[in-house]
Amino acid sequence: MLLLLAASPVAGQPARKHDLARRVLPADRTTRVPLRQPTAGQLREFREQHEFHYVEVKSEQSGWDLFMARLWHWLGELLQTRGGKVVWEYGIYALLVVLLVFVVLKLMQVDITRALGRAPRRSPLLYDTAAEDIHALDFNALLGEAEAAGNYRLAVRLGYLFVLKQLTDQGLVQWQPDKTNHDYLRELSAGTLRPAFRELTQQFEYVWYGEQNDLSAAHYALARDARVAFQRQLATTRHAA
Amino acid sequence: MENTPLPPSSSADEILPVTPSDTTEATPEPAAAFAPRTDLSRLSRHAEAIRQELGKVIVGQHALAELLLTAILADGHVLLEGVPGVAKTLTAKLLARTLAVPFSRLQFTPDLMPSDVLGTAVFLPNKAEFEFRPGPIFASIVLIDEINRAPAKTQSALFEVMEERQITQDGTRYPMTDPFVVLATQNPIEQEGTYRLPEAQLDRFLFKLHVGYPTMEEEVAILQGHHAGFGGTALEKVQSVMTADDLRELRQQVQRQHVEPKLLEYIARLVGQTRVHKGLYLGASPRASLALLNGAKALAALRGRDFVTPEDVQYLAPHVLRHRILLTPEREMEGHTADDVVKQIVQLIEVPR
Repeated sequence: MLLLLAASPVAGQPARKHDLARRVLPADRTTRVPLRQPTAGQLREFREQHEFHYVEVKSEQSGWDLFMARLWHWLGELLQTRGGKVVWEYGIYALLVVLLVFVVLKLMQVDITRALGRAPRRSPLLYDTAAEDIHALDFNALLGEAEAAGNYRLAVRLGYLFVLKQLTDQGLVQWQPDKTNHDYLRELSAGTLRPAFRELTQQFEYVWYGEQNDLSAAHYALARDARVAFQRQLATTRHAA
Repeated sequence: MENTPLPPSSSADEILPVTPSDTTEATPEPAAAFAPRTDLSRLSRHAEAIRQELGKVIVGQHALAELLLTAILADGHVLLEGVPGVAKTLTAKLLARTLAVPFSRLQFTPDLMPSDVLGTAVFLPNKAEFEFRPGPIFASIVLIDEINRAPAKTQSALFEVMEERQITQDGTRYPMTDPFVVLATQNPIEQEGTYRLPEAQLDRFLFKLHVGYPTMEEEVAILQGHHAGFGGTALEKVQSVMTADDLRELRQQVQRQHVEPKLLEYIARLVGQTRVHKGLYLGASPRASLALLNGAKALAALRGRDFVTPEDVQYLAPHVLRHRILLTPEREMEGHTADDVVKQIVQLIEVPR
């Protein structure tokens, strides 16, 4: 009984599927298919849209592309040689190590100019030193103008800068804009020049930093005499040297 | 340096003479011609007297004594930093003793409360009202020992009094007496139980002074003095040599010091550079510029001048700036200090001349 029940409906299903697969539907040639075409307005709209603007890219090589292509070709040939293979194998690692060291030094802000035997870089001064470049000033003319105008405070300043220039020219001090007057005084070797320069420095500081705008001609004459005496002494030192 | 010959114009004989009409005046004495226009003899006498009193006990530390005097004359507070045993507290106590003004001492501890410093309102049952009881901050010279042992809450209590010389309690303003100077000490090494001072408070100190070890000769002199038995009565040997009125008068004199306009620009450039320096995370405030100016004026007066020179500014720059700037972590890891950066900054700026 069970066998009958199992055989009758299940056995019939594969046979029906097989029949359906073999059936071929006749072509429907009677139904009219409407042909739809975009209107002229729609076409115009499509043509105006950016997405439908197809431009043919010309594949012309520039001079640079040609140069690079040849370079790569030459490099490729070079690297095929025995020496080239060695360089490719080890040189690339050496380059990476150098690059890594450079990056580390840069991150640590290490000035490597000293290691290369050069003087370490000095940061640029924030001041505009052009106006105070003692080597570019015509002190005689400027002193004459200041004295003629009765601006003795300025004359004392110019006279002091003049002395600093002469000391620098003779190599007795190293001119540097960030140095104070007392730095120069300390730089001068012990001798007769130092006390005289100390006196000049004191006079300059009293007059210039002390804002002695009303310096009299008699006071200025004292300062000028001291300066001229120092300059004579300096000239003697130079001749003796 | 190349030894180039002098140009013809540099000959001393070619210097243009002063016009004859100018030289008709009586020639002044050279020594008097360039003497200070302001009489600083009183200030010098007082300063010398204080130095001598300090010298009775403190061996060496001349630069420290000069800077402390500078701060007192510039109306500024001082933070003394040094390892234990280098006479930070003793120096501050002695300095306070040389001035005939009220003095109080505060030992900062982790459990110290703001009211322990400033004072508190106490309820009086018989009057049925509150009465303000001033704290130890109400003195002319206040020594705060181990200032970094109190937490930020207590440090904050000092903000108003250090800057505005007053405290406000329950809406009432209590001004400090003039002079009012805070001398604080701290140990740079100890970490356990200490707190870093807030930047706002550090900025209120005119100077942060490093108190270093004495030299070998100085240490021998210390031992000799101690061996002679003078250690125990050190404070008794020091006398008051300046009153509050004297100090106020000298401060006014310091305020009138001449400062060439280019020097003001120089100070502004120095401080401004701390704000753009790539090695600094935090630059100095305009209060630092004012501190540098006031300090330089006082230092110049102490050195017998009635005008400020770039030397004064350069000398004080590390003491004024070191506690007001913060290094970037990279610079700290490289082992740089604030003093190194200040030195670099000083080298960057041209001296006005």
